[in-house]
Formats: sequence, structure tokens, C-alpha cells
Amino acid sequence: MLHEIPVERIGPAGQVMADAVGTCVHCGFCLPTCPTYDALGEEMDSPRGRIFLMKEVLEGNLPIDEAVPYIDRCLGCVGCVTSCPSGVEYGELLTPFRATAEQVRKRSPFDRLLRRFVLETLPYPRRFRLAALLGRLARPLRRLVPGRMGDMLGLLPARIPPSERLPEVFPHQGQRRARVALLVGCAQQVLAPEINWATIRVLSVNGVEVVIPRGQTCCGALAAHTGAAWQARRFARANLAAFPDDVDAILTNAAGCGSGMHEYPLWLAGQPEEDAARRFAGRCQDVSKFLDELGLQPPPALAEPLRVAYHDACHLAHAQRVRDQPRRLLRSIGNIELVEIPRGELCCGSAGTYNIEQPEIAHQLGSEKARSILWTGCQAVATGNIGCMTQLATHLELEERPLPVYHTMQLLDMAYRVEHGASNGVPGPETSEAATASATAE
Amino acid sequence: MESPQDIPAVQELVRAQSRIRVRGGGSKSALAAEANVSLAGLSGMVQYDASEFTFTALAGTPVREVAEQLARHGQYLPFEPPLADDGATLGGTVAAGLSGSARYRYGGVRDFLLGVRLVDGRGELVRGGGNVVKNVAGFDLPKLMVGSLGRFGVVVELSFKVFPAPERTSTILAEFGHLDTAMAAVDRMATSPFDLMCLDVEPPNRLWIRIGGIGDALHARLARLTSLLEMSDARIGMFADDAEIWQDVSQFRWARENANLVKIPLVPSEVPRLEARIARWNGEVTRRYGVGGTVAYLAWSEPTVREGLESTLAAAHRSSLALWGDWPDPRLGPSTDNAMSDRLAAALDPQGKFAIAAAVAAPPGS
Amino acid sequence: MPFNELLSDLAALYPSDRLLTAAAQIMPYESDGLTAFRGRPSGVVLPVTADEVVETVRLCHRHDVPFMARGSGTSLSGGSVPVPDGLVIGLNRLNRILRYDPLHRVAVVEPGVINLRVSEHVAADGLYYAPDPSSGPVCTIGGNVAFNSGGVHCLKYGMTANHVLGLKCVLPDGEVVTLGGESLETVGPDLIGMFAGSEGLFGIALEITLRLLPRPEVYRTFLAAYDTLSAAGDAVSMVVASGLLPGAMEIMDRLAIDAAEAAVNAGYPADAQAVFLVELEGPREEVAAEEVRLMKLLDDSGATEIRVAKDDAERLTFWKGRKSAFSAVGRLSPDFIVQDGVVPRSRLGEALGEIERLSQEFGIRVANVFHAGDGNLHPLIMYDGRVAGALENAERLAGEILRLCIRMGGSITGEHGVGLEKRAYLGEMYEAADTRTMFAIRDAIDPKSLANRGKMLPDAEAPALASHGAHPLEQQGVISRM
Ligand SMILES: Cc1cc2nc3c(=O)[nH]c(=O)nc-3n(C[C@H](O)[C@H](O)[C@H](O)COP(=O)(O)OP(=O)(O)OC[C@H]3O[C@@H](n4cnc5c(N)ncnc54)[C@H](O)[C@@H]3O)c2cc1C
Ligand code: SF4
Ligand code: SF4
Repeated sequence: MLHEIPVERIGPAGQVMADAVGTCVHCGFCLPTCPTYDALGEEMDSPRGRIFLMKEVLEGNLPIDEAVPYIDRCLGCVGCVTSCPSGVEYGELLTPFRATAEQVRKRSPFDRLLRRFVLETLPYPRRFRLAALLGRLARPLRRLVPGRMGDMLGLLPARIPPSERLPEVFPHQGQRRARVALLVGCAQQVLAPEINWATIRVLSVNGVEVVIPRGQTCCGALAAHTGAAWQARRFARANLAAFPDDVDAILTNAAGCGSGMHEYPLWLAGQPEEDAARRFAGRCQDVSKFLDELGLQPPPALAEPLRVAYHDACHLAHAQRVRDQPRRLLRSIGNIELVEIPRGELCCGSAGTYNIEQPEIAHQLGSEKARSILWTGCQAVATGNIGCMTQLATHLELEERPLPVYHTMQLLDMAYRVEHGASNGVPGPETSEAATASATAE
Repeated sequence: MESPQDIPAVQELVRAQSRIRVRGGGSKSALAAEANVSLAGLSGMVQYDASEFTFTALAGTPVREVAEQLARHGQYLPFEPPLADDGATLGGTVAAGLSGSARYRYGGVRDFLLGVRLVDGRGELVRGGGNVVKNVAGFDLPKLMVGSLGRFGVVVELSFKVFPAPERTSTILAEFGHLDTAMAAVDRMATSPFDLMCLDVEPPNRLWIRIGGIGDALHARLARLTSLLEMSDARIGMFADDAEIWQDVSQFRWARENANLVKIPLVPSEVPRLEARIARWNGEVTRRYGVGGTVAYLAWSEPTVREGLESTLAAAHRSSLALWGDWPDPRLGPSTDNAMSDRLAAALDPQGKFAIAAAVAAPPGS
Repeated sequence: MPFNELLSDLAALYPSDRLLTAAAQIMPYESDGLTAFRGRPSGVVLPVTADEVVETVRLCHRHDVPFMARGSGTSLSGGSVPVPDGLVIGLNRLNRILRYDPLHRVAVVEPGVINLRVSEHVAADGLYYAPDPSSGPVCTIGGNVAFNSGGVHCLKYGMTANHVLGLKCVLPDGEVVTLGGESLETVGPDLIGMFAGSEGLFGIALEITLRLLPRPEVYRTFLAAYDTLSAAGDAVSMVVASGLLPGAMEIMDRLAIDAAEAAVNAGYPADAQAVFLVELEGPREEVAAEEVRLMKLLDDSGATEIRVAKDDAERLTFWKGRKSAFSAVGRLSPDFIVQDGVVPRSRLGEALGEIERLSQEFGIRVANVFHAGDGNLHPLIMYDGRVAGALENAERLAGEILRLCIRMGGSITGEHGVGLEKRAYLGEMYEAADTRTMFAIRDAIDPKSLANRGKMLPDAEAPALASHGAHPLEQQGVISRM
């Protein structure tokens, strides 16, 4: 679509943004996969509409604060990128636009405080753990706490697991097939450390040596997608420094982090580290993609048949285009029957801080997703992102049909453990019904 | 009776006369009763390119003639216009909106008409549609003509698309114990992918089913169909040579002795209800339900039947069209006119020259 | 200002979140799938009931404000570009399937129901809704009715109008009429056929009764590759002449193949100049017998490669490439115009040759994707709107292609409608008396010309495309190009 965006005046991201606008042909193919269009049914809350609005702002035809409410409601799930036949890189338009918007936006004092709080705790495991514990204590008061704070509390799990330090290097079993570095994620390590443990064990069983670099920080995605560009850049730089070169791949098991790390070149565009960021991003991949390409040691069958619905995490399926790999991994486990969730391309509404910023829409999307999941008649849910896991568990519970929600790696881990015996001589907390259910039951 | 020989003559007539009712071949007596213009002279193929699978002909061209020409190239009009042997014309078929049993497979006259030229109430020659198989430019005047009984103008020329004729056809007669089981079989046939050509119900308990296609495949298709029918306890008869059977249906041979014939569109679940009602009417009524039970054709001679028919149509809120017989207005039951058709008539025929049964149809007070 | 008066009445009817007037709310409604035009409405309403629609139309009529119904805004002819300063009635929230009767194979739907949802809804009963525009996952049944939309599978079973049994609509003055019913058969004039394809000029469809078909027992989908586009065109003629009646016949040329490949990896042959997609459908024995004949035909047609989809997944991949082709061309060119002309099918080869010649003469790339079985061409005319004069040049080429179709005895539009874009050519395709009649009909149905004013009919006040000089509304600054 034709535009008159003054590319030069906008700065380093100008061309990328203009290209995204220019590639959009206004065909609307993205509408059915956009969760906000689905929920709100209005053009300005659709990808096509948002592109149009951003174009108008960039061209100077529309004051930015008039457009911002609609851009704010975007989940950044990039479902629209998957369904766009024209190849519009929506994310590359959205992220820099949000950064610009953040600079000029006037927020209410409460908003500012909330945002500050989120950005200053979530990415830092120790702070977040403390906050989560406090929040956990406050949970019974949830109904008394007004609005969005209350919603936040509602998402906290019933039990904050004890923190257990991950080893720096974790050995491979059998013949060494690869050596990788793992990003352990910030919130994930606090809320569900068993996911990292499961990941490490699965890699190890498959002959993969795992390094967990000490200097790593939050991936920065949360900051970037809420428009805090400077903070995102700081995290990206720290990780560029922390991760070693002598590994075959840099792995993540949280979809959000994975897609964030793929965006480092965009965040650092025009900075001295741009090239390094590009190389770094080239080596990043999701653990499911890595294992699928490596070739899995055939996992033994689960003790009991299990009907599992696989939920595509947006940042895995849409942002990283990793869809078939986790399904293949799960299907290779005997006794698992994998089922598809209708309209599976729609976001569950979790998406970073969305639950806090747009609680109503997040809630609506969450319950819709829960109902779609229940429609499949599954006994458990698998997915590749901690944020989705929390959201799904919360809403399944609200539907009064709690189901265990696993990370793909946890199901693989369970299968391998059937063979190796319960403890397998490998340390770390295990996944059990009880452990995952902790995220669901009051 | 005027009989114009070319299109300008039709235009002149329309300009000169205050009232124009047209007849084609007269095969539908109820519609031709008060005609003062015959289009029999406006006959002949204007253009037929077999490789294009379309043709254009003048409105008075007999359906029979067209079918013969098409057949020479292995083609046909898939809705098989009825009453060909009585001289039905293309224009009359369109104006009456009449399709044969084979409409079941690919659609009716509305679905195959591509373009028309008509003379409107001002005597202007107007074209709508075209003669290519796909065209959405401008309002779809051709469709408006279908079933219009000449209300909007004198159709003088028509373009149709045609299909390759099935290589071979075959017919199954299935006889059931009861109408209900026959109707249940209709539902089953209609929702399964057998690709039937015709599916007619002959009360009280018979189904006529026709299929067509490539010769080699026909046998296996028939076998599957019959085994399905036998499962519902039908007695089966097969007819490999079935042209005459359907020719007779197309001619309403079963109704020939009767003076009156009407068409009532309905849905299959209404068939048993209608049957029950007819049983209470005063007089003998012969019936046949075509197109998977979506249209009823009723025939009778005794004038006493009229009353039963009219009360049934009113109660079921069904409009109907008389094809044979002597009727002041062939449109029976609730009127199909509404604000949209009234406005269209005002646009195309401002002076009301083409009004149907003007004396009767005129609303009170106008 | 009539709009302000309307606005206060609308405010009584709609809560504020369904009555949009702020710039950021109405801007995204300014254009449809043809981005060359945009028009700024004064407001947008989002009704959730048919009654609200009727009441809205009545209010517009009372206050003399033009209105336009909008489904998903995917029109490719500017059909859903708002009437400047008018009201947009967004129907996407009227998306309920009101009734579904599997036994009688009908579904009654609201106008905002998405085309593909209908087939999904009835699939469990072995039924489907036949018209399948490529925009099926997005476009609405209301939009389909207004444009009498077609699709790749319209060869055998026809377009939207052929599958609508009943309609409830509100005429432009607020009067509600019910047309047709649930039976396949009818008596009385075919008003449904007349409403379908009226491009919103006759009012708004509120309830639509659709006819459903049993899903064919088997599909066999063939992909044949050719060295030249004309060889593919000849293959179509051979299939047509053979007496086979496939469910779909589509051709894509090299540029279109490239675009589709980039978009969805359909796995089309890498070196072919054209691919021909043919699909047989029907009872398995019939299709098996047809397949033998079709294979022989394709062999004889000089195809360099013939593939048969081995399963449903591969079949869908074949079609996915075809169906994403329009938008995918966005990868090859920043801007493009999709044309929709029709030529007699036996003259396809000739028409394609002529388009090729025009493309060279104008120095403009043209990708070709088309419903070959119907002779419905979709030349995609590529241009870069940032280059001065490029749009005008592309439009001139588009105009030449339309004239070519008219000269060959075809049509200027097979399924996308006249809209805003092809109004000037309606008068070239039809005689003066024909268009006069169309005006007379519009004036009788909508004397105030409120419903989608300015579309389809080349009104005196808004006649032309850029190729005929700047658009008058454009000169007044009412509408503008993006
Ligand atoms: C990528 C792409 C592929 C396409 N492929 C095809 C194709 O294969 N075949 C095809 O035919 N078309 C195709 N189209 C064109 C378009 O999708 C169709 O015209 C479709 O029917 C428009 O539906 P919509 O819901 O988007 O309607 P809109 O664009 O919103 O509206 C179209 C017109 O209908 C009117 N309208 C909408 N709803 C109603 C209603 N309820 N009552 C009365 N009028 C109404 C509007 O006023 C407007 O004039 C394609 C478009 C795109 C972008
Ligand atoms: S699908 Fe892509 S090109 Fe089409 S409107 Fe959406 S973003 Fe634009
Ligand atoms: S990123 Fe997600 S929410 Fe945002 S526009 Fe795209 S599909 Fe919609």
C-alpha cells in the first residue's frame, strides 16, 4: 500500500517500518487470526487497521495519542504475520512504533507506577520471587484489591516453589552429540523451575551437554514489547556478552524469550553491536526445534494413555514459525494422542504484560481458549511457553475444569523417566501431576 | 393476436399498445390465456458456438429445436425445460420460471440464463447480462425475468450456458411400503454424495431416481445406490433405457387427462402434510413431487378442488402458479409481490402495460 | 449538517463503543482491498442486531445521509470504499448462524458470517457451502451476496446467487422485504437473483438462507506444468471440449507462481511457465473413470509435468498457493491492481497473448491468475505508487485490458463487481439504453440514492477513473489515493 512515510526523519527503524506498511495490500487475510479483532470486532483493533493507523501517524496525519489506544490493545502475538500472504513483517513495525509511542505518551500516575513495578521486578528473578511470594500472601485478598492489581494476583500460582540453583554445566549422557547454552528465563525460573530441569534432563538423555552461562539476564522481550527500548537494549548487550561462542546453539524453552532474542538485531539496529546481535540471533533456537533436528532418542511410552491438546504459543508458532517440531516430538511419545485445538492460531491472551495492561480482553481471550481446549476432550495440555501455561491453567480453573498444563519438555522428561526409573540419578525437581497442578488448584 | 417477426416490430407494438400480454408456444395454457401478442415468429438460434458451451436464441425459439441442436454436439440444457413436445419456447420457459426434474443436479433455469434482451414498457430495447459464462457487471436483469410472467417487459432474446450431456443415464424405480419411508429415503439421498440427476416422488410410495455420467462408472454407481435403497426395504426396478420415462415426466404425461395443473414450491418435510390435506379435498387430485420433494405438481379436473387448494395455500403460506386451466390470475396463494418488485415494475413499465391479469390484480382503490 | 442530526439520533440507538466518529476510529474504514482509493466517512456504526440495521437505515433516510454496508472490506473494486461524509454500517458483528437444518440442507445466516465458517459449521454432516472465493477465510456472506462472488469451484455449481434461497433485506428507505424461502423451487420473479450482485445499491441483506450441498465423495486434484502460458490455455480448451466437467480449472503464470511460492511454499514446479490446476469431484467410480480420460488429455496437451495430489493435505496445499496468489503478489510489487475481465473461453489464448503484448507496450509487469474454466481473467498489474505517474499508467493498462474483454464479447467483471473502479467501463460494455435502465431501476428502488451512492453506476457527479483525468471527488479533496 502506498505511503508517504518520511523514512529518513524517523531514524534507523524508519525503513523497516515503511517496508512493512508498503508490503501490506489491505487484503484482510490477517483478520481471522487476530485475537483482538475476534474479540472486539472493529477495524482499528485489527492488524490491517493498526498498520493503517501507524501509517497515518508516521505520515503525520494523525496525532499519535489518538492511535495509541488501539496499538496498546495489540498483543504482539504476530498471528497476523503467519496468515499474511503478502509477507508483512508486522512485528518490525510494531516494536519501534511502540518505542516511539512510549516517549510521547502521558500515563496516569497509577499506570506509571504499575508499569515501573512490572518492568523493575519481572525481569529480575530475585526481585520477582520476592514480589511473587508477597503477592501469594496477598492472594486471598484478591477480591478486595481493585482492578488490574487484583488480576495480576489472580495469575500467581498457589505455591511459589523453592529456588534451586541450576548447575553451570550439565553433562550429557552417552555419546556427546552437541553442546548448547541455555537461557533459563527470569519469571520461568521463579514460577516453574521444573521446566528448566526437565529441559536439561531431556537434552542430557539425548547426548547434549548443557551450559548455563552465569552472566545471563532477562532476554529483554518484555521491555521491548512495552516500548522500554533502552532497557531492552541493556539486556540484549548483557546477554551478548554472557553467552559463549563455543556452543552449537543457544537454546530457549520459553517462546517469548526465543522470539525476543531473534529480535536483537532490530533492537540494536544502528548500534555497534548490530553485527554481533545478528550472529547471536542466528544461533538462537527453541529447544523443540533443536531436538527435532538433532533427532530424538526414541522416548518410551507413558504408563497410561494420555490425550493431549497442543497449544501453539504465539511466540513459537507465529514469531519463530515453530509449529510442527514440538508436535513431532510429542507424537514420538507412545501412549500420547495429540489433538488440535479449534482456531488454534488465536492467542490465549497472555502475551507478556497484556494481562496487566488489558485485563478485560486478556480475560476474554483466556476463557475462549480454555473453552476451545475443553471442546477437544483432552486430558492435558502441552505448550512451549510459561506465560501461556499460567494463562491456560488459570482459565481452565475458572471454567471449573482444571487440567494439567505441561511444557513440551516436561512430557518428554516424564516419558524418559518411565524408562530410567523415577530419579534417574539426575537431580532437580520433577514434573508430577502435583507439581503442575500447583499452578491450577487453589 | 399480433405476431411480430422481428425485434423492432415488438418495440413498435409495445409503444403503440396500452396492454401487452405475450404468449410463446402456448404449452402452459393458464399463462397464455389473455395473450394478445405471440412471439412464435421471433424464433431461431442467433449464435451457437459449441466449443464455447453457450448459445443465444430468440425468445420464441422452441425448446425442442434447441435441444436437438445441442444434442448434435453432445450438449444439453441441464435443467431440461418441460413441455418441449407441446411447443414450449425459451422465452416462455424463462417467464414461467419452469425447470424440469433434472434441475436437481446442477440448478434450474435461473442458474443457466446468462443474458437477455428485452423490450421495456417504453419500447426500448434493453440488454442485461451477457453471453459469457461469468459476468456480474450491472444489475442482473436476466434473473429478474425468471418467473416474472412478462411483468417487466417482453423478453426477445436469451443467452444460456450449457453443459456436456451425460454419456449414459439410468433410472431406478424404488417402491416403498409407505410415503414416510420413501421420504426418509429422499432425505438420505439428498444428503449423500451420489450426484443424482433427478429425484422425484410419485405418491403414494414411489421414488424415481436418475443418474448420468460416464458409461464405465454407471454400473458400479447403480449397484451402490440400489444396495442403499434395499436397506430401507424398497422394491427396485431398473431402467437402462430411460429416455422415454423422463420425456413423459417432462410432458406431465401423468397429468394429461386433467384440466388443471399447478406448481407449488415447498420443502420435503411438507410433502406428507400436503398429502394429508389433499386427501380431505373435494375431488380427485393427481400429484407428483419433483426435485427431491421441493416442488409439488398437482393436477385435477373437478372444479370443486379449487377451494381446498386455496385454503391450503393460505394456511401453509405458500404461493403457487397455475400452468394449465382457466384462471383469472395464474398466481395463486399469497402474493409474491412486494415493495421491491413493485418498484422494479414502476421502473421498467411505468405505464403498467405488462400487468398480469390487470383486472384482478389491481389492488383495491387503485 | 444532516450528519450531525443523524448523529444525535444514532447516539440514542448505539452505545458509544459502537458509534465511531473519532479520526483514529474511522480512518481504518477508509478503504477496502483496492487501496488506490479511499473515502472518509463521517461515522461508523457497528450494529449487533438486524433491528439496529433497519433503524439505522431509516434514520439515514430521514436525514438524507448516504450509507454503505460493510462486511470485511475485501472488495477488490472499491465497492466498500465509504461514501464520503456518509455512514458506514459495519456488519461484521452480525455473525450468527441463525438456523441450520442438515436434513434440508439449508443454513440461515446473518450477513456478517464469514464465508468459510459456513462450510466449517456444516462439515460434520458431510455438507458444504459451494461458493469459495479465495478470500473465503475473511469475506462475509453479506459481501458475497452484494457482489455475487464466485470462486475457483464455481465452474460446475455457479456463484453466490445460485446458492441463495432466501433473503431478508432492508431497502434504502427502511422498508423490509422477504424474498424467496427455503425451497429450491420458486414462483414469482427471481428477486433474489436481482438483489445478488446489486453491490449494495438495493439496500442491506439482513438474513440469508443458503443452500448447502453434500460434499463430493472424492476429489482428485491435478497439477500440470507447461512451458508456455498458451499451452496451458490450450489444455483448458481440450478439457472443455472433451465433455469432462471438472469442479475447478485454474491457471497461474510464472510471476504468480513465484509469488505464491514465496507466500505459502505450495511446491509448484520451479521452472514451469504456467501451471494448470484441475479438480475432478464426484462419486468415486465416476471420478475414477474421468481421471483416466483427464490423464490422457493432459499427457497429450504437452504438459512437462503432471502431479496428482496424493491426499487431502496435498490437495489443500495446491489450492492454498492459488488462493493466496493475489495478496502474495504484494511480495513482488508494492502496489498492484487486480483486474477481473471475462472473455469467451475459446479465446483465452488470444486474450492472454494480447495482455502480454500490452504489458510489454506499457512496460508494466502483469501476473496472471485466472479461473480458466470460465474465461475469467485476473491480470495483476504491478506498479510502484511512489513513482510519479505509475498508478495512472497502470490504470491505463487496466483499462486497455477491460476494453479488450469488451471487444471479445466478454465482460468487465466476472466476480469482483464494478465498484468504484470500473464504473467508467460499464457504459462501454452496455448501450446507453441499458445503462439508462439501470439508473431507472436504481432511482425507483432508492430515489435519494442513499445506498452505496457512487458505486457501479457512472453517476454524473462521480464518473471516472484517473485514466480519464482526476476523479472529481478527488479534485474536491473528498476522496484521495493512498
Ligand atoms: C485476496 C483476495 C481474494 C479475493 N478472491 C475473490 C474470489 O476468488 N472471488 C470473488 O468473487 N471475490 C474475491 N475477492 C473479492 C472480495 O473478497 C469479495 O468481493 C467479497 O464478497 C467481499 O466481501 P466482504 O465481506 O469483504 O464485503 P465488503 O468488501 O465489505 O463489501 C463489498 C460490497 O458489498 C456491500 N455489502 C456488504 N455487506 C452487505 C450486506 N449485508 N448487504 C448489502 N450489501 C452489502 C458493500 O457495501 C460493498 O459494496 C477477493 C478479495 C481479496 C482481497
Ligand atoms: S494479511 Fe498482510 S497484506 Fe493483508 S491486510 Fe493483513 S497485513 Fe496487510
Ligand atoms: S500481533 Fe496479534 S493482536 Fe496484534 S495485530 Fe497482529 S494478530 Fe492482532
